[in-house]
Amino acid sequence: MTQTRIPVQFILNGKKTAVDILPEQSALQVIRDELGMKGTKEGCGIGECGACTIEVNGQAVNACLMFGVQLDGCRVMTVEGLAEDGRLHPVQEKFLAGHAVQCGFCTPGLLMSTHALLGENPEPDDHQIVQAISGNICRCTGYQQIFSSVRAACGQSDQGSVRENQDSKEERC
Amino acid sequence: MTTMTCIRPENLDEAVDFLHHHGPDTHILAGGTDLMVDLRSGKHHRPYLLDTSRIDSLKTVQISDDLSRLSIGSGVTLTRINTLPLIKDHAPALHKCSFTFASRQIRNMATIGGNVAHASPCGDTIPPLVIHEAEAVVANKDGNRNIPLLEMNKGAYQSALHPEDLVVKFILQARQPGFSDFQKIGRRKALATSRMSMAVMADKDSQGCISFIRFSLGACTPTPQRMHDVESLFTGKIPSVKLINQGAGLLAEKMVEITGRRPSITYKEPAVQGLFKRMIYPMVTWCRQ
Ligand SMILES: Cc1cc2nc3c(=O)[nH]c(=O)nc-3n(C[C@H](O)[C@H](O)[C@H](O)COP(=O)(O)OP(=O)(O)OC[C@H]3O[C@@H](n4cnc5c(N)ncnc54)[C@H](O)[C@@H]3O)c2cc1C
Ligand code: FES
Ligand code: FES
Repeated sequence: MTQTRIPVQFILNGKKTAVDILPEQSALQVIRDELGMKGTKEGCGIGECGACTIEVNGQAVNACLMFGVQLDGCRVMTVEGLAEDGRLHPVQEKFLAGHAVQCGFCTPGLLMSTHALLGENPEPDDHQIVQAISGNICRCTGYQQIFSSVRAACGQSDQGSVRENQDSKEERC
Repeated sequence: MTTMTCIRPENLDEAVDFLHHHGPDTHILAGGTDLMVDLRSGKHHRPYLLDTSRIDSLKTVQISDDLSRLSIGSGVTLTRINTLPLIKDHAPALHKCSFTFASRQIRNMATIGGNVAHASPCGDTIPPLVIHEAEAVVANKDGNRNIPLLEMNKGAYQSALHPEDLVVKFILQARQPGFSDFQKIGRRKALATSRMSMAVMADKDSQGCISFIRFSLGACTPTPQRMHDVESLFTGKIPSVKLINQGAGLLAEKMVEITGRRPSITYKEPAVQGLFKRMIYPMVTWCRQ
């Protein structure tokens, strides 16, 4: 069967990108399968784990829930766009230093949620941090190291508890 | 998934015109957060995808000059509902519901129009819209018509919208109430049967008696409900623990009247009362201030 592809153009990690996609493809499929950028992960595929988090026009979104066509004309950033000239982004540095990475599957999504948060609000309080990262699930770390690394990336001292984070895991029906 | 064709209209007229010709064959796309999940689960696949995200007129939020009517475009995201002062001031329970709505990532995409049009009993924006006596302004080739929120759903996941209809905006009776709240009980990834939500707004007179109250129950009934009996019970009275307990009992009774005595009622009955008490209890202090 012939499939009608449609042209989509956007700025990906600072570079103009043009790709012909199928209308039903998700932004995640476009990024991973069409563009071959495998940094963004697929966990649940239905908006619940945050492994696929990317930034679109400065806002964190789940690439698995987004249609590829919705990327057209947008400024898109994936985890590959964080490091510059071989130097890690400060948020990545803090995750490394704070042992926020074990298997690493959740890490790209968490880095992007943190990066988007800092873009919107350079000095978030603990509650705002929790709100920003509670759409990201980690099966390994128990969140404490992640939470303190995000706090460190936000220029806060290494204190604070993750309990609020666990308590406020977002609900859905 | 078989393949589809994507249409990206630049304005409302183009979208309405397309729906006039291809409505039953079209998925309207707003944020995509429900549609993508539905399509992935293999539900009702249609040949056209109508992306409404370029239509700027669907994204406006306005208040009338006399501050009596708040208009919220169907394409307004939950993040904007969370951050716009106009909504925080004139529809505070709607603002409140945006804090516990899904995750940050989803709020950045999900729209109020998609939430209502999906006709899920557990749409979080619905009880807040109901207490503001909201109407959806719906466009099709024959012109615009207004549908009261309470008539938007014919049953769980059964919208009153026709395939040719596009929700343009919601018109709310704006109010800056002295007391307002939204509460929900949810379980991550759980089903609607274990979920409930409610919204309230109220004002009091100089004696501390309730002079105005609107209350709506969502999620645990197939369609959203405005609970007139609960409102009447509180009107003209100063809330006390006794009155709140009475209200909670009445609410549970009304809920059972609607849903019948299903097995889940053993959970729902105490849960609805507990959530109601938690939400209304602060009124006791507020009315005595
Ligand atoms: C992990 C997860 C968590 C969630 N948590 C919550 C939650 O806490 N509370 C909650 O209420 N919901 C929740 N949802 C559901 C969903 O995010 C919301 O219902 C959202 O508001 C849908 O809006 P959308 O713009 O993404 O709609 P879309 O997916 O684009 O559309 C939804 C439906 O509405 C139709 N539609 C959209 N716009 C229009 C229009 N203008 N006119 C006519 N029809 C239209 C579409 O055709 C489609 O059938 C969750 C979803 C996921 C995946
Ligand atoms: S893969 Fe997108 S949220 Fe899980
Ligand atoms: S480090 Fe393994 S899922 Fe987070």
